[in-house]
Amino acid sequence: MKFSVSREALLRPLQLVAGVVEKRQTLPALANVLVVLEGEKLSLTGTDLEVEIIGRVTLENPGVDGEITVPAKKFLDICRSLPEGSIIEFLYQDQKVTVKSGRSRFTLSTLPASEFPAIELGDNDLSFSCEQAEIKRLIDRTSFAMAQQDVRYYLNGMLWELHQDSLRVVATDGHRLAMCTRPVNTSLSEELKQAILPRKGVIELARLLCEPEKPVEIIIGNSHVRAITESFVFTSKLVDGKFPDYERVLPRNGDKIMIGNREELRQAFTRTSILSNEKYRGVRFVLTEGLLTITANNPEQEEAEEQVVVDYAGSPIEVGFNVSYLQDVANVISSENLRITLADSNSSALIEEPDNSDSLYVVMPMRL
Amino acid sequence: MSQHPPSSQSRPRRIAHLDMDAFFASVELLRYPELRGMPVVVGGRSIHKPVEQPDGTRVFSRLRDYVGRGVVTTSTYEARALGVFSAMGTMKAAKLAPDAILLPADFEAYRHYSSLFKQAVVRIAPVIEDRGIDEIYIDLTEHPETDTRELATQIKKAVRDATQLTCSICVAENKLLAKLGSELDKPDGLTILTRADIPTRIWPLAVGKVNGIGPKSAAKLNALNILTVGDLARADKLLLREHFGQNYAEWLHAAAHGEDDRPISTGGQSKSISRETTFERDLHARQDREQLTPIFTQLCQRLSADLKRKGYLARTIGIKLRYTDFRRITRDLTLSTPTDDPVVIRKTAGECLRRVDLERKFRLLGVKASGLIKSEDWNKQEEIREQYQPDLFDENGGSGSL
Repeated sequence: MKFSVSREALLRPLQLVAGVVEKRQTLPALANVLVVLEGEKLSLTGTDLEVEIIGRVTLENPGVDGEITVPAKKFLDICRSLPEGSIIEFLYQDQKVTVKSGRSRFTLSTLPASEFPAIELGDNDLSFSCEQAEIKRLIDRTSFAMAQQDVRYYLNGMLWELHQDSLRVVATDGHRLAMCTRPVNTSLSEELKQAILPRKGVIELARLLCEPEKPVEIIIGNSHVRAITESFVFTSKLVDGKFPDYERVLPRNGDKIMIGNREELRQAFTRTSILSNEKYRGVRFVLTEGLLTITANNPEQEEAEEQVVVDYAGSPIEVGFNVSYLQDVANVISSENLRITLADSNSSALIEEPDNSDSLYVVMPMRL
Repeated sequence: MSQHPPSSQSRPRRIAHLDMDAFFASVELLRYPELRGMPVVVGGRSIHKPVEQPDGTRVFSRLRDYVGRGVVTTSTYEARALGVFSAMGTMKAAKLAPDAILLPADFEAYRHYSSLFKQAVVRIAPVIEDRGIDEIYIDLTEHPETDTRELATQIKKAVRDATQLTCSICVAENKLLAKLGSELDKPDGLTILTRADIPTRIWPLAVGKVNGIGPKSAAKLNALNILTVGDLARADKLLLREHFGQNYAEWLHAAAHGEDDRPISTGGQSKSISRETTFERDLHARQDREQLTPIFTQLCQRLSADLKRKGYLARTIGIKLRYTDFRRITRDLTLSTPTDDPVVIRKTAGECLRRVDLERKFRLLGVKASGLIKSEDWNKQEEIREQYQPDLFDENGGSGSL
């Protein structure tokens, strides 16, 4: 097996792939990257058995076909530290891989490709294509609300709910919820299909989607999800569990509607958060006609107060929130204003972009 | 964890149990001295914080104002006289003592006073075992002051000087007796308990008072007409063995006679609890799945039972495997909510197992719980946390409404 490739062409896929390779491995092959050449198509694969990423490069000149695995971290470090514009020659001979560039020469240990575990997809797979930008937006809009290491393991991930003409994703840690829906033709024959992507898979996938206008093919099986683009194939195990009924917690009876400038609110949240209780992060909203007053205090008896002029004509209301949850929402929303719909001090708040929003956020109030 | 073994066989040990009196409520009384002598209950939310008037006086919430599902965290002796005890539903308490003062719990303040009293004790007697926010064991065996009553008086004074709070101390020859004894003269008590005092002072106590006889065992003992520690001491060992198994029966008998040789463990609380098993023959994860699955599940169940018995929750669940070649590997996962639930432990340990090489046979499998926290401490925190930040999917909370 033999090929040559420019440092830059190799580096990007190698970095993507090395990202999933974990440092502590018991299966020795998992510390390695699988290098496969077929004609001018070079592919690099890394896996931790939960998530697998294959990075793909098309070589300018075909080499000699073959497949082998080499230590991922060392191979990446070598390529990264070579000078820009270097041409890298890769040669596999007599169980050794030799990497050469200019006057540099490295010999790497190998393990046979047959020892590299492959993730098998099951039957009943469903596939559809859309622009990468769609998937990227769905994830970017919601991933912050995923739980981390919650005992309710199905919350440590993101629900993907396929409808015939749309893809909806939902993330929640039990205290707040983020939901985004994009028009995607899923060619689904049933009415609805749900899958939970694990947290790590969601984060890796978002990192991969960096060519917004190019297509991505999504395949959802019983136990795995796969995303295929020109430059990579991403596969992740699905979380085996039932996502809670999110529809049940979407607030529907709010009649107190406040619209305010997002940036002003965001800054007010950030400043009041400084003097909120570090553990509970509570702030108090006092909403009166045309004015939102946000206050916070902490055990040291320090206090913050911010006033924001808002569009509000309802009856006065007072409600407590974890300010971090509000900051998270204000940070992902991009519209000029944001709208908060409340029912009373005890019911969850609905936060949206005022016009044509594809996303919505639910935040449970705090008792203060 | 460093353990201090019973120092010398010939000399009896001097173990003190120190318990702060109505700790949380007493801390609150320091802040609000005008409440002294009144029934006061801690367990409200921050809306129950006293409101200061322009003239400097404070208006307090009353128990009857409380609406919600919280429980009483602690109560003053005056409130206890009205039948209000910790862990009682606050609404229920309100029926018994509607006029009692209600205050929100302030754990930061309690932790502050907790460290003050512990520091004060350590300056006099450095060998202590931390048993939580308001109690410690102290090993006085090696202390140069040989007059035990004098020493205990010094400690009480040091605690009082450091915190303005009172505590109750009992010195006995072991932890079991010391713990029982500190209850005998509350509040502000000082008890010296010798073996000779056991029949008169310990035997009249209800069996449930003994640390290690939980509500279930107490009920079982009562059903056998064993109501007091004295009844237990006189009970037929065979009868106990029949109902409680050999180990626990032995322990019950010894406890009733005031015997306990547990050392003071100065390393604080346990670091980890684990269960493991070596197979009769080496097993393969896939080929021997049918055999392995029940073993694995049982290990997790036993670990869960250990945690519950010892009163701990674990934040981290790990597994240990020993392969045929004796190479040992471990994997663990940390949860955001500590657990003692066998299902969660099994699930988490299962996740760990997925991260190891299962192509090779192994001879030993172990499950370990670490990152331990006393369940009472967590539950208190959790109660407070839930009162502040309810859950969207809480069955009781319903559809996103409190």
